[in-house]
Amino acid sequence: MKDFEQLVAELADEASMVKPAPHPYLLSVKLVGAAILYLAVSLAVSGVRHDWVQAISRPWFVAELLALFMIFITASLSASLLSFPDLHQKRRQAFSPLWMFALFLIVVFFAWRADSPAAALPEHTIECTSCIVLMALIPTAWTFYVMRNYASTHGHWAGSVAILAAFSVGALWLRLQESNDSILHVIEWHYLPMLAFAAVGLWMGKWLLKW
Amino acid sequence: MRKSLVGDKVAYGELLRETGRLLRPFLSRRLSFESEVDDVLQEILISIHKARHTYDGARPYKPWMYAIAKFRLQDYLCVHYADQLRHAEDISGLENILHVDVTESAISYESISGEVLKLPEKQATILQLIHQEGYTSKEVAARLGMTESAVKVAAHRAYKVLRQKLER
Repeated sequence: MKDFEQLVAELADEASMVKPAPHPYLLSVKLVGAAILYLAVSLAVSGVRHDWVQAISRPWFVAELLALFMIFITASLSASLLSFPDLHQKRRQAFSPLWMFALFLIVVFFAWRADSPAAALPEHTIECTSCIVLMALIPTAWTFYVMRNYASTHGHWAGSVAILAAFSVGALWLRLQESNDSILHVIEWHYLPMLAFAAVGLWMGKWLLKW
Repeated sequence: MRKSLVGDKVAYGELLRETGRLLRPFLSRRLSFESEVDDVLQEILISIHKARHTYDGARPYKPWMYAIAKFRLQDYLCVHYADQLRHAEDISGLENILHVDVTESAISYESISGEVLKLPEKQATILQLIHQEGYTSKEVAARLGMTESAVKVAAHRAYKVLRQKLER
C-alpha cells in the first residue's frame, strides 16, 4: 500500500470536473420509460389478449395488474436509489417494493377468493415461466447496465429489485397477452417464478454490481 | 466536495485528508492492527474517488462518505474472516494426523533415503532422526527445539512430498 499522503496527492491530481450522476428519480424515469416502451412494442408485436375488454371489466384482474405495475414502478425507483452509496438518503423509498409486494400478495389472495367457480387450468405450465424469462432478459440487462454506472453499496438488494422490476415487465406482458383466467396457474407459473428469480438476483447483484 | 466536483484539486486534497482524519478513529475501533487501518483507509479513499460522481452537492457529505466506508470495511472483513476460516480448516485437517504415530512406516528408510536427502533440510533431519536413529517425535522435538506438534506436522508434510514422488 502506498503512503497515505502520496495517495491523497495522486487522487487530488486526478481530480477533474466530473459529470454528476442524475438524480435517482430521473434515473428511475429513464428505467421506467425504457421498460414501458419495450412493453408497448412487445404487445404491439405479440398482440393483446383477444378477451381484453371482458378482462378489464373484472375488478380483481385490474387490481392485480395495477399492483403488478406498482411493483414495477417501486422496484425501478428502488433500483435507482440503490445505485447510490447512501441510497440518496431515502432509505424508506429504497425498500418500498417490500410493501408493494405485500399489497400485491393481498390482491392476489382476494383475486383467488373471487375465482369461484375456479377457472379451468390451462394445459401449458412452464411455457409461461419461459416466456416471462425471455421477455425479462432485455430489461434485466438494461437495468444492470444502467446500475453499473453508479456505486451500489447494497449489491444483494439492488440485484434483487433490478430482477423484480425486469420480471414484472415480463409478467405484465404475459398477463396482457395471454387469455388465461386461472389465478392458480398465474400464481404458480407467473408470480412464484418471478419471486424465485428475484431471489437469484440477490446473488447476481453482489456479483454484477461490484465496483 | 462541491469544489472538488468542479475540478478544484487543492480542495479535493484537503477533503481527502479531512476524510482520512474522520475515518481513522472509526476504523481503529473496528480493526485490530494499525496496518489494517491504513490499508482499509486507502481503499476507502480510492472508492470515494471512483464514486465521487454519485455525490449530490445538495446533500450532506458525511452520510455518503460513511456509506462507502462501511461498505469497504465490510468487504475487507468478509475477505479477512474467509481467510481465517480457510486457515482454520487447514489446521482441523492436521488435527487428524497429530495423534498418528509418525514413527511407523511400511517402507524402510534406507530404500527412500535418496529422496529424503532432497527434502528441505529440517524435514530431512526430522525423518533421519525418526527413521534412521530411532528417536520418537517427542525426542526429536526436544533435540531440535521444536514443539512435538510441529515435528509431526513437518514429518507429515515430508511424507506427503515423498508419497507424491514415489507414486510418479
